[in-house]
Amino acid sequence: MRKKRKQQLNSLFPITVEKLEQLMNERFENNPDLSISTYEHQDKKIAVFFIGYLIQSDKVENFLVKPLLESKKEWTNNLILNEIPIGSGQETKLLDDILEGLIIGEVFVYIENEDSAINYLLPKKEKRSLAKAETESVVIGPQVAFTESMVTNLNLIRWGLRSTDLVLEKIMVGKRTPREVRLVYLKSIANETDINTMRQRLQEVEVDAVEDSNVLMQYIEDSSTSIFPQFYSTELPDRAVYSLTNGRIAVLVENSPTAIIAPTTFFNFFESTEDLYMRWNAGSFLRLLRFIAMFISVTLTPMYVAAVTFHYEIIPTQLLISIGQSRAGVPFPPIFEALFLELMIELLREAGARLPTKVGQTIGIVGGVVIGTAAVQAGITSNILIIFITISALASFTAPSYLMGTSIRVLRFPMIILAGILGIIGIMFGICFMLIHLLKLTSLGRPYLSPIYPLRLEDFNKVLFRLPQNYQWKRFTSFRPKDLTRFSKNKAAEKKDIDE
Amino acid sequence: MDINVKVKSNLGVRAFYLFFIISSLQLGVGIMGAPRIIFMEARQDSWISIIIATIYIIIVIFVMYLILKQYENADIFGIQVDIFGTWLGKMLGTVYIIYFAATLLSVLITYTEVVKIFIFPELSPFVMGLLLILLITYSVLGGLRIIIGISFLFFLLTHWLLFLLIEPALEIDITHFQPAFQASFTELLKGAKATNYTFIGFEILFFVYPFIENKEKVKLPVFLAVFWTGLLVLITTVIAIGFYSPDQLERREWSVLNLFKVQSFSFIERLDYVVVAEWMMVITPNMILLMWGVTYGMKRLYKVPQKTTLYIVSFFLLVGCTFIDQHFQIQKVINGVAQFGFWIAYVYPFLLLPLILLKKRRRKRRGDENSA
Repeated sequence: MRKKRKQQLNSLFPITVEKLEQLMNERFENNPDLSISTYEHQDKKIAVFFIGYLIQSDKVENFLVKPLLESKKEWTNNLILNEIPIGSGQETKLLDDILEGLIIGEVFVYIENEDSAINYLLPKKEKRSLAKAETESVVIGPQVAFTESMVTNLNLIRWGLRSTDLVLEKIMVGKRTPREVRLVYLKSIANETDINTMRQRLQEVEVDAVEDSNVLMQYIEDSSTSIFPQFYSTELPDRAVYSLTNGRIAVLVENSPTAIIAPTTFFNFFESTEDLYMRWNAGSFLRLLRFIAMFISVTLTPMYVAAVTFHYEIIPTQLLISIGQSRAGVPFPPIFEALFLELMIELLREAGARLPTKVGQTIGIVGGVVIGTAAVQAGITSNILIIFITISALASFTAPSYLMGTSIRVLRFPMIILAGILGIIGIMFGICFMLIHLLKLTSLGRPYLSPIYPLRLEDFNKVLFRLPQNYQWKRFTSFRPKDLTRFSKNKAAEKKDIDE
Repeated sequence: MDINVKVKSNLGVRAFYLFFIISSLQLGVGIMGAPRIIFMEARQDSWISIIIATIYIIIVIFVMYLILKQYENADIFGIQVDIFGTWLGKMLGTVYIIYFAATLLSVLITYTEVVKIFIFPELSPFVMGLLLILLITYSVLGGLRIIIGISFLFFLLTHWLLFLLIEPALEIDITHFQPAFQASFTELLKGAKATNYTFIGFEILFFVYPFIENKEKVKLPVFLAVFWTGLLVLITTVIAIGFYSPDQLERREWSVLNLFKVQSFSFIERLDYVVVAEWMMVITPNMILLMWGVTYGMKRLYKVPQKTTLYIVSFFLLVGCTFIDQHFQIQKVINGVAQFGFWIAYVYPFLLLPLILLKKRRRKRRGDENSA
């Protein structure tokens, strides 16, 4: 009884067209974007209202308004639902529903004295066309990147993974401005627990707005205070597809050109899809190179600072002489010298990232060549340090993930300071601390350093190096996918004796 | 107090990791100075002493295994309470905890002293202690799985140091071992006893045993760990005795570290600096495991939250390492711990085993009577 009354209270219809127009204008505070057109057809008033730039106006024109006016019939709601050649017609009664519908691109038709309005979902979304990946650029293999449009991204994934197993769950995240989030996984491969954990975390996010997938990632990560990203954020559809076929989970966010991939290990951040497209030995070499680069990037400059500040004895005499000569005129202690140069490199990188590509290149040349040479000639820094700093800066850019690269670059500063204060002991402390921290991290509850700890030798060929494709008949076991085998092992070559 | 430990299913550890737990707790500061101490007792026959010691430890471990096997899923705290009653059992458990804490302190101050001798003569022990205690506290907060991960990872990351011993190993003078078999039996035994500070640490088996998932496989990794530690001490001692003349060796307190000075590359010299720094990775798992033992013991015996114990012990360690900074004080602590450890780790299991077997038999007989 009570419920019924409430419904009646809320229900807007029936209402006269003039009153409806007045009401809508009131609620939209006379916003000029809301267009309400009223027509008279066979003595019946019809109102069509929508927000102009959110809908496909040619469709409204051709398939809705024209048939309405040209037909000889007397219009009722039922007739409209049956006769108008647009599929998605629905009846709406509540004012709130109408308002919400208007802002996601619905068109409403109301015939006077009917007890509901009819809405058609005809949204128009502006989107850019597909482009090459910028932050994760690859030399060979697919180059196309995700865009800001969810529809385009889903399309890319669907075409990459033509499987009926593919599940694309829809979850709305955000209290004030809800945003569509898609949980993507392959039903027959992905681990059930992982899916449930991810779904639960997405559903439990209680924030007013989610700006981007990278922001959402920080809400749902295992440790939000850590410097290391625990989920991989990629803009390459082929990388997302590759991860999905390996039983991992992807999360797409509306208006965000990157997909989140989980669970992730520390080593995933150093693998590029390119490693797969190359020969296995070349791919392994590149992967190894990136690990070495990461280590160099974190420790090279601190080692220099520690050695020059405290432990001259470590450097052999010959080398010490040339370092001494290059440092002879430098008035600062090594720690300031190193921090100054590192800061300069970071400035160059940041400026290069903010400026348009063409200007950015100029900045690179000006910064790298001119400032570097001038700094040495002016006697502010030693040129050996410039070599070290440049190497470690270069090394930090080899990480295929931009997030991980940035983390590594930031890590250098505390390491340099530790080295400048406590020498080699400080560096060792930093490394130990970092390793312990990495051991403590988890990604979606799975250990971050697997397969090193917990040790799984059969997974080493997926993270540390690569085997020929024929030998990789198993999936990454540390993530416990539902289906462990990629293809039958029998394909591997049978043993043969020497050919005579 | 429950005699058997109920382990949460997600906290189980594979027996395989026992190898790393035990060997990383055994290898610590002791090995840095072991060759000299053994050499002072058994001279050129030190290697025999080490072999004797290793065999003896393997026997001890077998006894420990027999003790643990009598129970379903118990650790030393539960067993002692079962055998000696609540009061005495808890007191003996406390002795274990104090022993662990004392070992922890001895490792901390010894490493601080080594850093002072080799790298920073001016280093304040407070700073060094603070760094190490930060590492310990941060890791122990992560729980048992993380602790085992650290001992595993750091074990792998430190064993490259062995390659640096190749150069001095090539310069061994065989005549330093001749004439062989000169030491009397008592001298050999004294030499074997001198290794005990280096070798202690296998008692942790009494603590972690309940957490092992596949108990049928416990024996092999434990024996391998003891064997590996014995082998490493043997190698370093043989190299040290072969490399240094007897006089030189007796004058070098940290003879193993000095060995690393021999190796040099075109871009780096004086690797002893690097080695002393790298040794932080050797002792960190060591101290973390000891600290875990202390906090876990307090929780088992007195139901003190592990965090509380952790912070309090950390504080006292920091105070301790700040004030115990003289060489003779440190030697006193080490000798005390070695003595303490000798009785607890090497002798005590032999006393415990017959008591347990006796009790078990009596219980069984009583059970038979009851059922009859």
